[in-house]
Amino acid sequence: MPDGVPFRTHNRSVFSPRFGLAMEGHQPVIPLGRASIGAPAAPARAWARERLTTTPGRLVLVSILVVAGAVCFGVIATAAERSRARAAQAARAQTEPLLAQAVTLYTALSDANASETTTFLTGGLEPQARRAHYLQDLRLASDSLTTLTREVGGSADARTAVATISEQLPLYTGLVEAARADNRQALPVGAAYLRQASALLTTTILPAADQLYTTEATRLGDDYGSGTATVALVVFALAAVAALTLLIGAQLYVARISRRVLNVPMLLATLVLAAVSVWTLVGLIAEQNALARAQRDGSDAVEVLSATRVLLSRAQSDESLTLVNRGSDETDPQDLSRVIGVLAPRGGLIGEVAALSKRTGTSRYADQLASDFDSYRAEVAQSASLENGGQPAPIGLAVSANSAAIAGRLSANLAQQSEAAETRFTGAAADATGSLSGLSLVIPIATVLAAALALLGIRQRLSEYR
Amino acid sequence: MRRATATALIIALSATMLDGCGSSSDQAQRMTLAALGTPSPSPPRTSASSVTPRCTNVTASLRPPAVMPAPGAMAAGSFMAAIKKRGYLTAGVDQNTFLFAYFNPLDAHVEGFEIDILRQIASAIFGNNNPNDIHFAAVTTAERIPAVQQGSVDIVADAVTITCQRRQQVDFSTVYYGAQQKLLVPSNSSIGSDKDLAGKRVCATIGSTSIQTLRSVAPRAIPVGVQQRTDCLVRLQQGSVDAITSDDSILLGFKAQDPYTKIVGGSMASEPYGIAISKAHPDFVRFVNGVLAQMRADGAWQAIYAHWLGNVASPIPAPPQVQYVG
Repeated sequence: MPDGVPFRTHNRSVFSPRFGLAMEGHQPVIPLGRASIGAPAAPARAWARERLTTTPGRLVLVSILVVAGAVCFGVIATAAERSRARAAQAARAQTEPLLAQAVTLYTALSDANASETTTFLTGGLEPQARRAHYLQDLRLASDSLTTLTREVGGSADARTAVATISEQLPLYTGLVEAARADNRQALPVGAAYLRQASALLTTTILPAADQLYTTEATRLGDDYGSGTATVALVVFALAAVAALTLLIGAQLYVARISRRVLNVPMLLATLVLAAVSVWTLVGLIAEQNALARAQRDGSDAVEVLSATRVLLSRAQSDESLTLVNRGSDETDPQDLSRVIGVLAPRGGLIGEVAALSKRTGTSRYADQLASDFDSYRAEVAQSASLENGGQPAPIGLAVSANSAAIAGRLSANLAQQSEAAETRFTGAAADATGSLSGLSLVIPIATVLAAALALLGIRQRLSEYR
Repeated sequence: MRRATATALIIALSATMLDGCGSSSDQAQRMTLAALGTPSPSPPRTSASSVTPRCTNVTASLRPPAVMPAPGAMAAGSFMAAIKKRGYLTAGVDQNTFLFAYFNPLDAHVEGFEIDILRQIASAIFGNNNPNDIHFAAVTTAERIPAVQQGSVDIVADAVTITCQRRQQVDFSTVYYGAQQKLLVPSNSSIGSDKDLAGKRVCATIGSTSIQTLRSVAPRAIPVGVQQRTDCLVRLQQGSVDAITSDDSILLGFKAQDPYTKIVGGSMASEPYGIAISKAHPDFVRFVNGVLAQMRADGAWQAIYAHWLGNVASPIPAPPQVQYVG
């Protein structure tokens, strides 16, 4: 190492414009004639030898390294930030809203069926409110279907599901209207039309809605996965440490050959790089936490609540159809007890709602839900003769007003909790995307600035050799 | 140093790309999807019993008492007195057969021919015509006989055909309705009898005797099985079957619901309906037979028939023939 040479005197004797140095410095070193004598690789070898053996050469090499390191840092930081931001943004603005649409479609269709079958059993003229409820459900379902048709994306399963629902829904409503028309004339064939309508819904339309729901829920899960992946964080941290190490190492080297401890531009470059690293790190962690919160407190609850709504509607339909079909078909009460078992407050969906609500401080609603569900189960057991020792149930014991009222309370409670969960999701998802805001600009600017400052610092030393 | 940095960069970049593939292991989502995937039970495949014991005089029933007790004055110790003491008769019925026994959604009552016959029996026990004297219970086809055997209902009038096999399990009253298996077709159909069924789709309830009779009488017909009787009428109205075969009691109800249909052909099979009563109460069987005999004699049976079926079945037939034993 030629560290002992007094560079400053040597430097002073030479004057040349600062920024032309690198080119002018190395061009004369390559004698043109040598290319024709030696191997074709010779000029390159000479160039490399000069970089490695002379101090200015080494400085040029260091500046190349520092720039490359900065570029690598910028690329990695941007990639990490982009992958997180894209996922968080997709979850917030795309997949979760689509999941919400799929949920609306699913719950509205289930509820429409429950509403229609219950109306049939109340006897007499159908209450205006129930009819309005059914029509409102259909409107909600159609609106969601329109949105899903437009935005369902590339999944073939989801497109098939949307097509199935679009084709079958008019048939369903047609059968329901046929049932109503017969019912208005007190013809029992109305019940058969209603059964056919209900069967079409439960065997064709709802499975398609379920398929859509599953697709959207899985897509959201994937977005959560990439939006909270620790790999991005770790890789970024390693890149930041590597870049800072490189920069500090370069400063130490430059300080050693120049005998000056402080190189202000390089120090500034280090500070800029450190600052942007910390900012990015904090942003990534905040985004990760906010997105995890969006999932845990928001969309997890939305999913569990919506499944509860769907299954409660199914229980209501079963309860009504048990009575419509009594005397000829025993599958509805079997399905009913199955669904009630899946909902169960202990170990079932309602239990899961309670567990989730503890985290979000909404236990009051969940407790009310569990106690209402217990009374609903008791009512259902009575009217559908689930637990009366196999005694045939008396005719005319239609879905009791009591049971309908409890079901209404349950579904209002669930709707309220879903809305609250949706709000929690929106807030947390906005926090997630907000934590990364500005970084997509700051990272490249800071990287370029740091690289420029470092170059400037090295160049100051390099200029001392001319 | 530079190569190391490049290698680190490549590793880092590929790791960044890969992290998108990591999926969250999400308990709530898994639970939700599993719960929504709860399968519906499939309807059981019922089939008529293949063992058919033989007996003579299948429709013969116990002779009524020589002197019927006055309405409301039941002999002490009789089953009727126990019913009167309880305050109501429990009866297992169908709720889906229009005009015969059906749930009327407009007034939320069960009504029809069978229901009125049961009301006659109740008024003979209680001595008045209070609708609360009977508690009706809907029983499935499979539940009809066990419900009587186990005593969860006193009596079942639910289109139960009297057969030798069933007579080993319960007692039957005399025949209150002589049903015939026939065909119902659209009013513009060319089908005139069971001879015209070759290649035609014919609807019947799965597991019913009607579908078995169809197979033997018209082997070239294409049977279409449905879970419930009324589903056949829906199929016929939607054009997915060409004819329905069932007991005329049921077909009359279909015809009443759809004026664009007609009942054609002769009897494919005879199905005498009896009221099922537990073997533990022969006094009640005799009493019911006495009520039925009175109804035949004083024109009540004909009046009930005319009230419910007169518009769709004409002329009004004579009450079914009865046979007594013991």
